[in-house]
Amino acid sequence: MPFLSHGSYRIRYELDGPANAPAYVLVNGLTQYAELWAAYREALVARQFRVATFDLLGQGVSDKPALFISQDDQVAALHLLVDALGDGPIFLAGISFGGLISLRYAIEHGERLAGLAPMSCFAELPPQLFLLGNALRTALILGGTSYLQDLLLPMNVSDQWLGPVLDKLDSVKRQGWLVNDVYALQNLMESFLDFRPLTSQLSSIILPTMILNGEFDFLTPRAVHETLRAEIPNSALVIIQRAYHAFTLEKPALTADLLARFAEDVLAGRWQGNKAVWIAPEETGGELIAFPAGYDHLRAIPVQGPAT
Amino acid sequence: MSEFLGPLDPQGRVPPYQQTRVAAFLTSAHGALARQFAFALPAKLVSAWQTELNAQVYHEAEIVSLLLRATSWVPDLALGYLSMSWETAWFPQPAEGIPDQPLARAVGLATLAHAVHAGIRPAALLPREANADDPFVMALRRIELESGRLLQAQILFLKGPELLAHRDAVSAALEHRHVEIRKLWTSALEGVGIVVHES
Repeated sequence: MPFLSHGSYRIRYELDGPANAPAYVLVNGLTQYAELWAAYREALVARQFRVATFDLLGQGVSDKPALFISQDDQVAALHLLVDALGDGPIFLAGISFGGLISLRYAIEHGERLAGLAPMSCFAELPPQLFLLGNALRTALILGGTSYLQDLLLPMNVSDQWLGPVLDKLDSVKRQGWLVNDVYALQNLMESFLDFRPLTSQLSSIILPTMILNGEFDFLTPRAVHETLRAEIPNSALVIIQRAYHAFTLEKPALTADLLARFAEDVLAGRWQGNKAVWIAPEETGGELIAFPAGYDHLRAIPVQGPAT
Repeated sequence: MSEFLGPLDPQGRVPPYQQTRVAAFLTSAHGALARQFAFALPAKLVSAWQTELNAQVYHEAEIVSLLLRATSWVPDLALGYLSMSWETAWFPQPAEGIPDQPLARAVGLATLAHAVHAGIRPAALLPREANADDPFVMALRRIELESGRLLQAQILFLKGPELLAHRDAVSAALEHRHVEIRKLWTSALEGVGIVVHES
């Protein structure tokens, strides 16, 4: 198991796929760990990508600083991993908390990347997300990791995913509970206490950017992704049908295919962001559908959008 | 060596020699915290935060009481020297680099409590099939949950405004305590066939 060193801390990472291939770096969400990307490793390596996964500081097998974890440290750790990948094209994809770290990385080191894919991601904390974040932190404090997982699961995945595992949720939660420590998760959550919105810096991200948002994501809803789409010049927003916050867990084949197609388009010079809004296919490999012209993609009912 | 307690008996209970070793360590650690918090607790509270100190004393004592009653104790010859090394490690260690000695002692106690509450996860040793109705199993789960709550007092204090100027000293003292306590916990468990993964 290889490690990178950031100061006195060790960051556990894994590289798969051909060494000279274009690389995808995948960044975990808050309660995740690198093994959850296993299906992506397999799918992306099969499409001739090199895949880098790692545990953020405070997660999984990486070191867990006892008291302070800053988002700057996470960006620095990610920078170490990107450096380890050499000079070839590198695509960066992150989910939720990992999406935010990816955004920060793209703002600071965009020149190192060929493309960016923020997923279930946000650049600022509007009141609903701010209050939900505070409530989740309180849940962690009062009820431990297990209670936090209980609250996150119904936000993260659909009834169709939850139904068959409802009587074995303890098993579903166990690995996440084992590898995540309360104090380390709390430190990660408290790295938001001095959070400053990134919105004003998003326009400096000039690289191709595919923003992925679950259709029914009510933790980070469409409006927070809209900020990214509106501010990042070469971006497109892709809505994942019938998906919630953690569609990377629920729809790995579809999401890995979208990531691979995005990178292939960029590498072939076909990518045109145009701040477009697309609807992802329901089936892996299907065609993306342009969001119907004239309708407001921020609404949940088919209301005519403002004239453009 | 395994990362979980066991093998469990047919009723899903942890072997008594493992119960004894785990409970002895936890009793020693939480007992030391109970004593040190009790020593720091004034007879008459003068500040609001001291109500938390009062709570810590009694929660630590509750953990000790729980373990004494929930554990199937058996003789463990190694406990003689192990207990001595544990008790020595709990001695007050004022944090280095903080000139205000009362504050340095308070930081020392808080780092010990943080390391015990955050770094020791007894419930994570339980295999999936452990009997949820067994008192020792329930005790470990309760101690881990309660530790997460008790930890908040240490986090609030160590991250608080009073210590902002001493952030590096606090971090260094805390990381040192974590390493020290984890090492004791790891070596205590090694003797009963358990390997704790380092992170």
